[in-house]
Amino acid sequence: MTKLHHSFKAGALALVAAAPLAVATPAIAQEYPDPAQTLDWTIAFGPGGGNDIMARTIVDILNTYDLYPGDISIENRAGGSGAVGWGYLFGQSGSGYGISTTSGSFVTTPLQADTPWQPADFTPVALLATDDLVLVVNGSSDIQNIDQFIEFAQSNPITIAGTGTVNVDFIVPTLFAQAAGFEFEYVSFNSMADQTTALLSQSVDAMVGNPGEILGLIDSGDLRALVYSGASTPAALDGVPTMGDVGHDIGVSMPRGLILPPDAPAEAQAFWIETMQRVVETPEWAAYIENNTLTPTVLYGDEFRTFLTRTANGFEEVLRSLGAIQ
Amino acid sequence: MDIFSDLVMGLSIAITPINMLYLLIGAMVGMVVGVIPGFGPSAGLAILLPVTFGMDPVGAIMMLAAIYYGSMYGGTITSILLNTPGESATVASTFDGYPLAKKGRAGPALVMQAVASFVGGTVGVLMITLLAPMFSQVSRSFGPPEYFLLACMGLLTLIVMIGSNWKLGVISALIGLALGTVGVDLETGQGRYTFGSAELIGGIYFIPIAIGLFGLGELFYAFYSGMHRVGAGSVVQYNKESRFWPTAHDFVSTRWTMVRGSLLGFVVGVIPGAGATIASLMAYSTERSLSKHPERFGTGEMAGLVAPETANNAASSGAMIPLLTLGIPGSASTAVLLAAFLMWGLRPGPLFMDQNPEMAWGLIASMYLGNMVLLLINIFAIPLFVQIIKVPYRILGPCIVVICALGTFTVHASFVELYLMFAAGIVGFFMRMYGFSPAALVLALVLGPLAEEALRQTMTISRGSFGIFLDRPASLWIIGVTIALIVLLPMMGKMGAKAAKAKNAGA
Repeated sequence: MTKLHHSFKAGALALVAAAPLAVATPAIAQEYPDPAQTLDWTIAFGPGGGNDIMARTIVDILNTYDLYPGDISIENRAGGSGAVGWGYLFGQSGSGYGISTTSGSFVTTPLQADTPWQPADFTPVALLATDDLVLVVNGSSDIQNIDQFIEFAQSNPITIAGTGTVNVDFIVPTLFAQAAGFEFEYVSFNSMADQTTALLSQSVDAMVGNPGEILGLIDSGDLRALVYSGASTPAALDGVPTMGDVGHDIGVSMPRGLILPPDAPAEAQAFWIETMQRVVETPEWAAYIENNTLTPTVLYGDEFRTFLTRTANGFEEVLRSLGAIQ
Repeated sequence: MDIFSDLVMGLSIAITPINMLYLLIGAMVGMVVGVIPGFGPSAGLAILLPVTFGMDPVGAIMMLAAIYYGSMYGGTITSILLNTPGESATVASTFDGYPLAKKGRAGPALVMQAVASFVGGTVGVLMITLLAPMFSQVSRSFGPPEYFLLACMGLLTLIVMIGSNWKLGVISALIGLALGTVGVDLETGQGRYTFGSAELIGGIYFIPIAIGLFGLGELFYAFYSGMHRVGAGSVVQYNKESRFWPTAHDFVSTRWTMVRGSLLGFVVGVIPGAGATIASLMAYSTERSLSKHPERFGTGEMAGLVAPETANNAASSGAMIPLLTLGIPGSASTAVLLAAFLMWGLRPGPLFMDQNPEMAWGLIASMYLGNMVLLLINIFAIPLFVQIIKVPYRILGPCIVVICALGTFTVHASFVELYLMFAAGIVGFFMRMYGFSPAALVLALVLGPLAEEALRQTMTISRGSFGIFLDRPASLWIIGVTIALIVLLPMMGKMGAKAAKAKNAGA
């Protein structure tokens, strides 16, 4: 498995970089951006979700540091698990003034529905972070660490809960189990809340999920974190090993990045790559990564497109081999 | 008196002028969100969430929570006056609320719904204050086996819901179950009847269906029966001569209904995922089974309005328990509140109330105040709201169509859901005409997928053995309660009827 993560330590650099940023303006902007044009920022989900918070955080940073000269209009175009919003951006083909943030559904929705677009169609700007998962067991379980878990799973039938099937929640434990040499039954739930309730009521043996929503339960000892699927463990999960640490790196994550419409002008792409290089160095961005327990994985331009294609293909292959999609 | 001192501390935080202002804004917005058909509290909260980015978290959470429980007050107003539920948790309030208005008792019905909402909401907060730790144990003992049994228990209320013509009732419920199969299958990930549409991946959402069947269906029927030709105010009467205040009999005859509705609503609300809609439908069915006069239900019986109203407000309080004690949202609306907590960098979970006492107790204290504020707003606003029925139906009707369409569209910005709402409106018209049961359809649509998913999760967990239902204490409890309900309710109903007969014979 190729290593996809290029970890970027934003925290330490942020303070140093923040001061000169306030006065610096992008040097490459000759034709783009035209301050008279309004930037049409599409959020493909409703307010309050992960995608929405990320987009609003970036726009806040752009405004605070004066990184974009024109007006920015933010619009939530929710519907069809992102199909509506990204379909709208797809329709702006050739323009440099449409922009959107991506999340997991950017990869999974085209696998489930007949969307006219594929992730690789869009002009990639940057992968800014990845959503990774933590494997947890009930706090009253005898299993104290990941080695004990693997050992237990190799000799006992176990169940692992997650949200949905065409989702990273299903793929991560499946690949991890293949690497570590155990088998399990996957139990699919509609939401993080449902699966957490199932684990607390001891209906399932373990579950995978984004750490953000369950940190409180991990702190209180009601849930015990065993292993993290990202390249580096977030501060809030200090002491929990990554899958790579225990020798079973799987290299699959959900991309949180920035895209432009298909065939956007090269100046626009270059401008946004340079701008995002500044954004990820701000303290506000570091705080966002920490509050949302994301893994700061940064890739620019075509490297991001390669990442998207590889993630989409990997997903399709795993899901097809397991019969989840046709 | 730890609880007492905590509550006083919470009150001192809530009663600052700025926080009271936020509370008042939240209550007002909640009322309005509730009144607009289709546009429910979760959509209202989600839209207003970005506004709170820069606010003080304590004031912001008071405001957001007030929007949430305030919408339960507002949702009933249109249920009573127009037979159009403002949101899904007030569908059951149309059953007797609208007949009451037709009988010329719109004023008392509106006052009673405000009082019932207040009682339900306040009992709910009281139970949060006193029993939060105990009820957090309830919500942590529910897994897929228990959810399956709970859904079955909910489906049992169909027996009451189905109405006089059982064949048509069963067909209605089956249509609901069939609609519930649409969407990506949770277990295999394969699409079922989605026809490649991205908007159907998540299945058919029940709110556009409920709004179509009850709101539009009723409206079309009203036009069919020529209501647009009659003058304003002749269908639902409200004028200075008709009484505004409920009679003493209204209060006395529904006092136990309020107690039962509050307790049932709260318990159902505590269980993550069940929610106010199921609570209100279950409360209505229970009340009808217990009533000495079940035949009066549906013709304007006050208990038939009070039961679902106390239950949906108590349930919305109950749903705060898993959120505050476990960090698990029990409904779509509390999921938005959880997103707000996370946005402010808080860490909801079992330690939340200990680590953030100002926030937790400020919120709880504000809910007492919020319910009082809402009771007052409601009673003062009633004379204003009843002006609606003075508008001639030929003008009001088209307005309702537009509002229903806007409300439904705003929730997910989905055209498919808008088409579904109109289709449901046409189906609802014919269902009304031929005596089918739209309530049974909606209940089956809500509970069918819940039962199916929970059963399949249970079977995966138990590797196909039904013994799992008997191995778990919580599921044994539910089985026991269900059997008791099946056996006891009809008996109690019969005994009640006998007693009433004996009383009548004696008099």
